[in-house]
Amino acid sequence: MKCSANFFLVCLAFLVLVITLSPYSSAGDLKGLVTETVLSNGLKVLLLENHKAPVITFQVWYRVGSRNEEYGKTGISHLLEHMMFRGTERVGPGELARIIQENGGQHNAFTSADSTTYFQNLKSDRIGVSLELESDRMQNLVLQEEGFRTERSVVMEERRLRTDDNPKAVAWEQLWAAGFQSQPYHWPVIGWMEDIARLRLEDVKAYYKRFYNPVNAVLVVVGDFDKKTLLEKIERSFGAIRRGVLPGQRVSIDEPHNGERRITVKREARLASVVMGFHVPNLRGLSDKGASEIQDVQESRDSYALEVVEALLGWGESSRLQSSLVRGKKLALAVGVSHPLLSKDPSLFTISADVLPDKSVTDIERATDEEIERLQREPVSERELQKAKNQLEASFIFQQDSIFSQASQLARYEMVSSWRNIDAYLPSIRAISAEDIQRVVKRYLTPDNRTTVILRPVSPSKTATSPSSASTEEQVR
Amino acid sequence: MILRKRFVFTLGVVVWIALSFGSLHAMPPVQRSVLPNGLIVINAEEKTLPFVTFKLLIHAGARRDPNGQGGLASLTARALLFGTAKQTMAGINEQLDFMGASLSSDTGRDYAVISFRVLKKDLDAGLKLFMEVLSQPAFPEQEVANEKARTLAAIRASEDRPGEVADKAFLNALYGPGPYGQPVIGTRESVEHITTESLRRFHHSCYGPGSSVMVIVGDVSERDLKDTVLTQLSAWNQAATPAPPLEIKAERGSKRVNIDRPLTQANVVIGHEGIRRDNPDFYAVSVMNYILGGGGLSSRLMHDIREERGLAYSVSSSYDAGKYQGSFRIVLQTKTTSASEAIYLALAEMSKMRSAPVSEKELEGAKKYLIGSFPLRLITQEGIAGLLLQVEYFGLGFDYVDRYPGLIQAVTIEDVLRVAKLYLHPDDYILVEVANLKETGAESQTR
Repeated sequence: MKCSANFFLVCLAFLVLVITLSPYSSAGDLKGLVTETVLSNGLKVLLLENHKAPVITFQVWYRVGSRNEEYGKTGISHLLEHMMFRGTERVGPGELARIIQENGGQHNAFTSADSTTYFQNLKSDRIGVSLELESDRMQNLVLQEEGFRTERSVVMEERRLRTDDNPKAVAWEQLWAAGFQSQPYHWPVIGWMEDIARLRLEDVKAYYKRFYNPVNAVLVVVGDFDKKTLLEKIERSFGAIRRGVLPGQRVSIDEPHNGERRITVKREARLASVVMGFHVPNLRGLSDKGASEIQDVQESRDSYALEVVEALLGWGESSRLQSSLVRGKKLALAVGVSHPLLSKDPSLFTISADVLPDKSVTDIERATDEEIERLQREPVSERELQKAKNQLEASFIFQQDSIFSQASQLARYEMVSSWRNIDAYLPSIRAISAEDIQRVVKRYLTPDNRTTVILRPVSPSKTATSPSSASTEEQVR
Repeated sequence: MILRKRFVFTLGVVVWIALSFGSLHAMPPVQRSVLPNGLIVINAEEKTLPFVTFKLLIHAGARRDPNGQGGLASLTARALLFGTAKQTMAGINEQLDFMGASLSSDTGRDYAVISFRVLKKDLDAGLKLFMEVLSQPAFPEQEVANEKARTLAAIRASEDRPGEVADKAFLNALYGPGPYGQPVIGTRESVEHITTESLRRFHHSCYGPGSSVMVIVGDVSERDLKDTVLTQLSAWNQAATPAPPLEIKAERGSKRVNIDRPLTQANVVIGHEGIRRDNPDFYAVSVMNYILGGGGLSSRLMHDIREERGLAYSVSSSYDAGKYQGSFRIVLQTKTTSASEAIYLALAEMSKMRSAPVSEKELEGAKKYLIGSFPLRLITQEGIAGLLLQVEYFGLGFDYVDRYPGLIQAVTIEDVLRVAKLYLHPDDYILVEVANLKETGAESQTR
């Protein structure tokens, strides 16, 4: 229900032409508005009409992400995502982007631990462009050695940019690597550098064949169209594609911690940071079954309660950690709290803080512990609980302003359970009690269940001591 | 009660101009009015969702920072929420959060924009709070001191983001000590010199309704406007001093700035002075830049440097055209060992734009994207409000959305060549490299 600044999760195909479309006509029920159809080849199609503006968002979500990878071949999902722009038998290299853009379309793709997504935002009369290109590249990708080597270099540059030259990103990467041992969330979506360098064209070909099939994909379209007409067109474009075999989705799930795990990252950095993660269940019980029912009612109630805990601790200037760490005790430059409601496997509830100069990491950890203990000890007041719920509800409504996020919300629910569960969100949040909050904080936000990563700055190694001036050399040619 | 009556009367003399963006774009009808206190109000009713987006543009950008107090404009905007004559910071934040509302500021060089988003049901109370923090901030000593400390830390933290370091160095090299050459957030030295008294003075002289622009998009009917919104906006009375005109001087001549950092990539900025938004060549420049490096995967830079050679994940060019002279920039990151090659390729593309006409296909591709994607900017409340602010600030006229396709369509191959020759300077540019200089070779090259 929020955009978490989770370094672990998303890698885009490229950076420019950013999207700013937003989605519902009201915060009402979706069940009556969304049409779900499964084509005979297994492709699931979700359509939601929204006639606010003459535009559509067209999104293909494949049920494959870094969680489907194996040791030694990490990053292959994301590298394949890049290769999807390199052309098919009908559309030459570089043509795909040109065609979409000449039709006034914005487009990109992103890979997460759980899924890989391709999208276009277009004027509604250009929907044929998406139908043609996406149905084509679902099966007919041309994977050639030369393009592959180039794209692998691009991805290595992407990794340098996002992670290797960014000390905080390194700390986050370490959080997942230490928090998970057997579970694939252990490795980063973009992959380890050595793995990327070692990936072969043959690996990517096999991966494409295994995961890019109608039976393993969900097509979501939201915007200004007529459902019946569009569905016929979708049937014509995608209906003839071979079904493919539904790949297994079972992965190892980590055993519970037997005590806190602590990691130190020493890097040249100006500020220290603390990131911590607590193991929490995902919204549905197990991730390898296609059923849409929520299997463990108790755990799903826990998930919604943890949503509220996220707001209590970290949303807005009046939230507990903001009031304590940033404003009150003046220990942190900024704090962040994130609960992974929609993850396919159990994941981490995270708390992070950038430490102000001359303040200590220990004090930040102590102050964070105090706030967590206070939530365990004292029930939140009626007013504070209501405030958190109001924030979550307002945010949910604000999010509906964009057809893009409307569509991706449907798809993200569909990836982990069923889009129908969106309608359960607000009622479930409203039903959370002060006792629920106490219970889940006691159950999950405990030291034994925590992985903590400290980013400890080391002073600049080679250049001068004053970073503002002396590390700059300036010459006029 | 009395207040309300008086303003209902006052509003009687306001002339409403109903404007319409072409039906093609599904833009809601727009109304513009000038309140007696001078505030320009632009309203577009968009009722599909029960909330409202406000965007207030105030001529209180960093260009008005007093000498030696860089960062004052930015800090003032942020400090609006630190308390008022009537309420503490904690009290204000608690109310905002209880409504689930968001109130934030974004200060640029020329102006500050205060954005406010609130559910329809809280419109009245929310707007009251918004106007209170805007017109009666108290700038409490303690809160301001805390924020100064945080700002200093934020400046320090930005040193860990090589892209920002490069950008800052580029602007400084281009504009020198002038207002455009200094970071909006200020420097370590300048922020130290800011006092609560300077915040008060800045607020007093720069924040007022006169010539400020309030854009309101969302679930607000004419009735809501008259009954609550305009009444509150009209009560804002403060005579701010208009922003004086500005003379922006950009440096000419080639210049290299090398900043040594133990990084795996070279963060490169190549650039020089750009154009003003009111330059009649703006549209031809938009097309030219799209072909060069603004067009994502379809641009020449992306094609050469990324698609052909795999030297970078991201490479792009942009003109930042403001009310005053902006800049032109190519930004890229590449592993240290390929820095020289990537820089060479980027410069070669700049030269090529000037020496040979673009193809018909490239021209058409650029035009089709620029025209065709325009409606995608008008989908969300945020998008509509942002565009309306630009239209008003740059005096583009409310028929801009309708005129835009024609303006782009009129650009010819000759125009593209002409503006490339005028506004691209591949022999006269600033080159910034933030990198491990030994490995990029920048060190030996410049000695």
